[in-house]
Amino acid sequence: MAEPAYIVTSDSETTGEEKPSTFSEIAIGIDIGTSQCSVAMWSGSRVELLKNTGNQKIMKSYVTFKGNTPSGGVCSQLSHEDEMLSGATIFNMKRLIGRVDTDPVVHASKNLPFLVQTLDIGVRPFIAALVNNMWRSTTPEEVLAIFLVELRAMIEAQLKRRIRNVVLTVPVSFSRFQLTRIERACAMAGLHVLRLMPEPTAVALLYAQQQQQNAHENMGSGCEKIALIFNMGAGYCDVAVTATAGGVSQIKALAGSTIGGEDLLQNMMRHLLPESGNLFQNHRVKEIKRMGLLRVATQDAIHQLSSQTSVQVDVDLGDGLKIWKTVDREEFEEVNRKVFEKCESLIIQCLKDAKVEVEDVNDVIVVGGCSYIPRVKNLVANTCKGKELYKGMNPLEAPVCGAALEGAVASGINDPLGNLDLLTIQATPLAIGIRADGNKFVPVIPKDTAMPARKELVFTTIHDNQTEALIIVYEGEGEKAEENHLLGYFKIMGIPAAPKGMPEINVCMDIDAANVLRVLAGVVMPGSRKPAIPVMEVRMPSVDDGHGWCAEALNRSYGASLDLVTLQNKA
Amino acid sequence: MTDIPFSFSTFDRRIKLSQFSSSHCIQSQISPLTSTTLSFPLYPSLQNIPMSLTLNLTPLTAVTTTLRSPPRVAMIRAFTATIDSRRPASLYEVLRIKQNASAVEIKSAYRNLAKVYHPDSALRRSESDQRDFIEIHDAYETLSDPSARAVYDLSLMSARGGGGSFSSLVAPNSSSGLYHQTRKWETDQCW
Repeated sequence: MAEPAYIVTSDSETTGEEKPSTFSEIAIGIDIGTSQCSVAMWSGSRVELLKNTGNQKIMKSYVTFKGNTPSGGVCSQLSHEDEMLSGATIFNMKRLIGRVDTDPVVHASKNLPFLVQTLDIGVRPFIAALVNNMWRSTTPEEVLAIFLVELRAMIEAQLKRRIRNVVLTVPVSFSRFQLTRIERACAMAGLHVLRLMPEPTAVALLYAQQQQQNAHENMGSGCEKIALIFNMGAGYCDVAVTATAGGVSQIKALAGSTIGGEDLLQNMMRHLLPESGNLFQNHRVKEIKRMGLLRVATQDAIHQLSSQTSVQVDVDLGDGLKIWKTVDREEFEEVNRKVFEKCESLIIQCLKDAKVEVEDVNDVIVVGGCSYIPRVKNLVANTCKGKELYKGMNPLEAPVCGAALEGAVASGINDPLGNLDLLTIQATPLAIGIRADGNKFVPVIPKDTAMPARKELVFTTIHDNQTEALIIVYEGEGEKAEENHLLGYFKIMGIPAAPKGMPEINVCMDIDAANVLRVLAGVVMPGSRKPAIPVMEVRMPSVDDGHGWCAEALNRSYGASLDLVTLQNKA
Repeated sequence: MTDIPFSFSTFDRRIKLSQFSSSHCIQSQISPLTSTTLSFPLYPSLQNIPMSLTLNLTPLTAVTTTLRSPPRVAMIRAFTATIDSRRPASLYEVLRIKQNASAVEIKSAYRNLAKVYHPDSALRRSESDQRDFIEIHDAYETLSDPSARAVYDLSLMSARGGGGSFSSLVAPNSSSGLYHQTRKWETDQCW
């Protein structure tokens, strides 16, 4: 029996609290994208991207299962396209990680040439790879961990030392629960997450460094600069507005959505073969092969449409099913009109949230795999009133370079030339609050609050002599509680009997620089300055899978009996 | 400011300092830096979780790292000298600016302080107390918003009985002198 490819080194879900003493090791920046991945680190004078044995800086993010030894895209020499057809390869794990089977993104992933099965009740989807005509089950965390182990081996072989600390880039729209899944995958691979950076904020840090270097060269240009960063990869589209001066990048607003190259690809596949959804439903070996063939052909066509105005798609799916079609760029843009509209709305939303007028934006930066698509470049430029796009960043390497810079900065590395005299003041991408005032979501820490953050709100009881209250913590932007991600819940007991509206229930939320969230709740009776009962402190997220079920069960069992309302007369 | 209502910003300091003082009005006794040096890890047990590396690699000869860790203690001592020993009373004192500071001065002061007090900052490492940065940011939030600043200025005046400390409001025009002296990393005047 062969050794398993990875060993779970720590079952602890808590990877946050960092040790002050580990700061001597420089953290590696890793950008694991939905389709591609890259690694970079601060070399002492600049950021360097690490290459795999095939001399590639950008590697495909996938894992192929064969027998007992899965192998990832880090060092595998086989071409992705051939392997994808067999059903043994799992990819797009970044789209699947931390999602339940009612999520539309999971449903859209059923078109992938491996098994994604849903029961549509709010549990983990069943994911499996076809190995020797047998479905071998796995999880997105496991796939990611296998990939990270390979990545780690590659880095360690090159650096000739062990590595532990990493800075990973993540999509803006990831919930805190999804972030814990990424941390879990890293822990499984023996890596410690120093920071999880939203992708555009990593780009913002690189931009801050470039601006600072420019400022050094020509004195007098150290003014505050506002940059809009648009990052669209295969899985996610993220926007950030940042204000930069003197190496300090302050994130003013973030916006993100689960749209990306994968959606463009699926829309195109449906366009080329309208019945493709039904065709692949049963996931037979032959169907998987067809699905793979169509995927590869469509992907190639989209890539070619970035440089030419029309493309000939010619693919034989077997059993007399052939696609022979000319697709031009307008057709591609029309098929994906909704995706591009969503991109525009994200930019507009982000500028609005940042309270920045388009005219005040100094630089517009477009990065990510989709930045090669002419329509994407145009829509960003047009939304920013025709501003010329920022040059001087490699669209595929910018996020990983930013992550490597953050790795060096957060590891306490000093650069004598001041190239690491940098700082990112992160902002919360989603609001965090509790359920109160009926079924409303009441944010305690609003969206786009600078981190570290600490905010509190005072609530009170809705019934006379209410001695217990349920604090249900959500994250998101929805007005109703259930439209948001459930992070956890706890009950306050022993509230002194009093008329409704009297006890002051103080709910405090604290996010530290490592993005660890703690929720504290204390009860104070009017006229007293001391808490009436011991204060509760809970680290969140504390819920595991099946968040939907949790909230429903709480509602069913308690209804409004343990509810709270906001206390208006207290700030 | 005689009656301090229960809030977590005061409460947190009480947790940290409960061994040292039984007073309820701890706030007035703490300077940002003493609370820094006294803060305990909230989760001492977590810090000991071993995260061993179990990847089966052939042993590689470890290369001595040439990374230079910053001279933390010395740095922090140096800053101690520049900081007032009592808790800042107003948001202007938090940002160390005059009450008639311009918007540009406020922004500049905020970034200067962020460079020092943000937990990620290269100048102040793990010993840092994050409350400091949150306090600085909250002060900046209020003072950088003209209407919020006006409301705050009014509350300051009424808190002082409308008189007495008006001198700080009508201070002479040399307000920028203070922060020009303290800037360390910024090369230019305009942002």
